[in-house]
Amino acid sequence: MQEDPIVITGYGILSALGNDHTATLSALTRGVSGIADIRHLATSHTEFPVGEVKMSNEEMEHLLSLPDNSVTTRTALMGMIALDRAVDMARLDHSAGTQNGIAFISGTTVGGMDRSEQHYLDFLSGDDFKQYISTHDCGACSEMIASRHDIFNFVATPSTACSSAANAIILGARMLLSEQSDVVVAGGSECITKFHLNGFNTLMILDREQCRPFDRDRAGLNLGEGAAYVVMERLSHAIKRGVTPIIELAGWGNACDAFHQTASSDDGEGAYLAMKQAVDQAGISPGDVGYINAHGTGTPNNDISETHAMQRLFGNNVPPVSSTKSSTGHTTSASGAIESVITIMAVTNDFLPANVGFNTPIEGGISPVETPLMNKRVNYALCNSFGFGGNDSSLLFKRL
Amino acid sequence: MKPAIPIYITAASQISIQEPLCDKWMSEPRIGLSGYNEAIDPAFKEWMSPGEARRLGKIMKRAVVTSTECMKASGVTMPDAIITATGLGCVKNTELFLTDLCTQGESLLKPTQFMQSTHNTIGSLIAILNKCHGYNVTYAQGDMSTDVALLDAVTQLSLGDISTALVGAHDEMTPNYYTLLKRSGYYGVESMVSSAEVAVSFMLSTQHGKHPLCTIDSISVLHKPTVESIRTCTEKFGQIDCIIAGYNGKCDYDSKYDDIISHLTDDDTPVLQYKNLFGESMTASALGLYAASRIISTDKIHDSMLRSGRKPSNINSILVINSSGNDVSFIKLSKVSL
Repeated sequence: MQEDPIVITGYGILSALGNDHTATLSALTRGVSGIADIRHLATSHTEFPVGEVKMSNEEMEHLLSLPDNSVTTRTALMGMIALDRAVDMARLDHSAGTQNGIAFISGTTVGGMDRSEQHYLDFLSGDDFKQYISTHDCGACSEMIASRHDIFNFVATPSTACSSAANAIILGARMLLSEQSDVVVAGGSECITKFHLNGFNTLMILDREQCRPFDRDRAGLNLGEGAAYVVMERLSHAIKRGVTPIIELAGWGNACDAFHQTASSDDGEGAYLAMKQAVDQAGISPGDVGYINAHGTGTPNNDISETHAMQRLFGNNVPPVSSTKSSTGHTTSASGAIESVITIMAVTNDFLPANVGFNTPIEGGISPVETPLMNKRVNYALCNSFGFGGNDSSLLFKRL
Repeated sequence: MKPAIPIYITAASQISIQEPLCDKWMSEPRIGLSGYNEAIDPAFKEWMSPGEARRLGKIMKRAVVTSTECMKASGVTMPDAIITATGLGCVKNTELFLTDLCTQGESLLKPTQFMQSTHNTIGSLIAILNKCHGYNVTYAQGDMSTDVALLDAVTQLSLGDISTALVGAHDEMTPNYYTLLKRSGYYGVESMVSSAEVAVSFMLSTQHGKHPLCTIDSISVLHKPTVESIRTCTEKFGQIDCIIAGYNGKCDYDSKYDDIISHLTDDDTPVLQYKNLFGESMTASALGLYAASRIISTDKIHDSMLRSGRKPSNINSILVINSSGNDVSFIKLSKVSL
């Protein structure tokens, strides 16, 4: 065990599975999926099921008690809800960062695209919606979320597509190790937009049915949305301020597949390296890993590549695997944080979440967890997040 | 943070509204530019096949060129990390995809535009071309994007996790997006400097190599700083021979710099500007660091850059200051004497 390990002392989560961690945990232990017909996104592509957060923007604004004239984006609203809950659970205020301060690191790629795609032609023609021009960029999105709590002295926005939130957690870990921050709140937020729904559609990687990660007949992903954050600090710091450490962040890896902008290599080099780095950093052997929350998008390419990467690292003893994207949809830039929180809840509540929709294994592939496995105690769990461009990251959590 | 070990900038390369890939801006800069200006591009075919040159957007092509030149100049063929900063990412392709989406609806959209619209496409491309499996991350933190990317690099170099990092800062501009940013007040304010396009690559290393430009002695990025937090952060800097700051001709921005600097140093510390030559963009601060690294290694300053004080003759230390709406960054550089 590391001398003064990095521990998680709070989290917040919002996804298709529920508006807070209690609802999410309940859905996970029941093995249900939050994927359904499109309700909130104004798109003509209603043939694609999605994992939407079950609230309209107005409902979220109301929940957050924002004034009527607030200039917000859906990504920022979801981020604020998840951040509030994380700050609350970890009992964070100014006093937690007296030495080096508190950092907020939030991954996103879509940023304010939901407003931009509604008003792009208006932006060009006149001033009517100009307040949304400066909410477009990713950094502005994180600043909006951060402004909810006047406690942060550093704000950063990793934007590595679907691994953005995992990379936020990795930067956060290094901010703590280098003593630049006393506490880091890290994760990500991303709403579904027409922009990337259509983008993924042009790449022909959206399934018209409930997605089936790791299944022989998988036919693509279902988009999801949501936000999640974890509160990270050194164990000694958590003890000093009297908060309960929930789990340890024992290792992390970031590697580039360096193969293709939108496809993964057949041998899963980037994924393999990221998982290996995380395991090596913790000083454990692969056999100690008891569960993998896979990236598992449900696309033919990702799942075979990730399978090969896992088989390279674990040989014939791949631990129980599930892709919870089958329940949340692929929450893109937020997925690294949403799935980290799911992994944390699984380990601390002694269960393994299900890979919903699985029927038939890929030839030579793996058989993921099909229904929630209760009373299952694991000591180490990996959480994978891979992005376009081969930006692959993996996080390793350790039971305390 | 103050790194635990010396960290060198061993090479830097730029494409901007000044002459690309050279230091002509130090002796004969293009001056008096305002409004919308595009970068001066080198002949891309010297760095890539005609097919690639057709396929890739300008922001990508520029990144390929500055990265290649930076790696060549530093002698590093395989960096341990590729860290990229971009405020707005691949604006051109985003705009094309968005225009089609808004005008012709949700059909017949082009996959290539979407694939090349994501921010991390730039850093990934550099990794793919160099088969670099190392750490690879992109930051999009508005006007602080470059500074956050550099902070990540310096942190990892200091922790001993890596020995070299290729740090790139890339932004492009289009006439349409310029119109939007004019509407939002980011550009086009009277007396303001030109818009910019930015492609800057730095090689950071724990080894000084043959021709190091300078060391990075300290880097801090502060969100919503107070006078007190600025003092705490800067009081350990020691002697500062010269300051270079991101004055852009907008009154509120410029007075913020004046205010920050007034808390830092004696009145007679010379203050330099660079955006009057290189223009304004979310990653413009990379050009400030680039200019500072050249100035400290050559002791040359063009008259147009001097904002206040007397031109120093021997520059051993420079403080690079970048300020945005809510954040400020300080990067202190020192001369290398081998």
